[in-house]
Amino acid sequence: MLFLQQVSNGIMLGSVYVTVAVAFTLTIGVLNFLNFTIPTLFMLAGMLAWALSTWGVPTWGVPFVHIGPMPWQAALLFAVAATVVASLLVERFTFRFLKTRYGDATEHAIPLVSSLGFLLIIENLVRIGYGTDTQRFPGPQADMSVNIGGIFLRVPQLVSLVIVLGIVAGLNWILRHSRIGRGLRAIAENPDAANILGVQANKLVPVVFMLTGLLCGLAGVLFAINYGEVSPQMGDDIGSKAIAGMVLGGLGSIWGAVIGGLIIGLTEMLTIHFFGADTVQVAVWGLLLLTLFLRPQGLFGHHSIGKGKL
Amino acid sequence: MLLEVTGLHVRYGRTHAVKAVDLHVAEGEIVTVLGANGAGKTSLLRALHGAVKPAGGSIRFAGDDLTAQSSAERVTRGMMLVPEGRQIFVSMSVHENLLMGAYLRRDGDWARDLKSVYDRFPNLAERRDMPASVLSGGEQQMLAIGRALVSRPRLVMLDEPSLGLSPLFVNNLFNLIKELNRDGISILLVEQNTAMALEVASRGYVLELGSLVLEGGADALAGNAALAEAYLGDHAAKPEPDAA
Repeated sequence: MLFLQQVSNGIMLGSVYVTVAVAFTLTIGVLNFLNFTIPTLFMLAGMLAWALSTWGVPTWGVPFVHIGPMPWQAALLFAVAATVVASLLVERFTFRFLKTRYGDATEHAIPLVSSLGFLLIIENLVRIGYGTDTQRFPGPQADMSVNIGGIFLRVPQLVSLVIVLGIVAGLNWILRHSRIGRGLRAIAENPDAANILGVQANKLVPVVFMLTGLLCGLAGVLFAINYGEVSPQMGDDIGSKAIAGMVLGGLGSIWGAVIGGLIIGLTEMLTIHFFGADTVQVAVWGLLLLTLFLRPQGLFGHHSIGKGKL
Repeated sequence: MLLEVTGLHVRYGRTHAVKAVDLHVAEGEIVTVLGANGAGKTSLLRALHGAVKPAGGSIRFAGDDLTAQSSAERVTRGMMLVPEGRQIFVSMSVHENLLMGAYLRRDGDWARDLKSVYDRFPNLAERRDMPASVLSGGEQQMLAIGRALVSRPRLVMLDEPSLGLSPLFVNNLFNLIKELNRDGISILLVEQNTAMALEVASRGYVLELGSLVLEGGADALAGNAALAEAYLGDHAAKPEPDAA
């Protein structure tokens, strides 16, 4: 029974990894860009949800405009919205600015390094603003749970799992069947040909970053609700596990990121169950390396991904 | 005048790929641009389509100056390029490739144009839901042209369409070009297959090292022995041995 409880916990943890891994895989699949700001956007959403519900909107000492603490529901909403805006700012200043300035971003290093810069800047600004401590997020009754055959499923976790799967399915549908989705896939495969047919990359790239912000924001607030605590460091471990999940599932594959994220979450929880917490990193990264030896493109990956030109 | 290019220059860094080119295509014409490898033909097309910004000169289409406009704007107005090497999307199905041709269509009529492409190319209709990667070279060229047609172009610019096709397909291709022209589409054809190109075109231009060195009626160019020797290399002015 404890084992099944751990499986359920693993799936719940995995669903956070899934959301972040999908954000990674979307940006890699379409733009061939490993966006290092993703973990920090995740953290930003969690920290803002906490800060807005505890302190209100920061006004840096400007008198008479104090906006006090808001209910947690409103805080979640504003936190996600702010994360989307932050993601668009990252697009504006890493991807677009440097690309228009230095031309063809086949120079992968430039967006990569500048996104790494954003990661550090945002993380440290949050530290300066709110300190480095782990904070309790006063969410809904996180311990509200249903008991199914002896396994306790916490309601917020169940709801998040459904939301995550719904968003991923929707995203997948958009990519497969909508005009914007076809445009994104055209850019991903052959930006020159896409341009010839009138697809405007400068209009579609922000869509990718908006979706990235949305996914990260969602993952961040879901994490805050489910685990009841946030910190400026919360993105570091989640980010690397999400990358592991994405690579495991196969770069650029949405469902690959879903399966990969869940596998990583399960591996983590079951390793803790059987061998204790010290072995988690070895198990997770060992599993990843083993998969890469046996199947370098990942479980659902396509070998052409990672060779894009935009 | 449908397309009017005046004093066009294209530079890539220090390379001066296209130098002061003047050319025009009248409504309903087939015009060919000839030249050896590296003569600047593809650079010229890239500038006409808006993929590179010209370093000078102007491009007018149907009376409007499009020099500073985006590729998307040109597509909307009816200029469409069929690029060298087809450039179809191999990760998409045949049908999705054709839908990409309608990417900017806002009018409700694109479905009819899509249907007429399927009517014109029954092979594509049969393979509608297959990945485009399974098509033969000739079928891929049909797909690239079909994709262009779904945008309902007034001017189709073809970059080396016969490259890599079997002789039989080359014949079909040139027949298709004539057919499209009869249906009212103007054609700008860039080719290395000089003999075939001059057979379907009414006029031609010859590029050498980025500059126009000759222009005239197709018959006059075809009969111009100097053309063959001076500018086009071996396979000019005499029929391609494998094109018959």
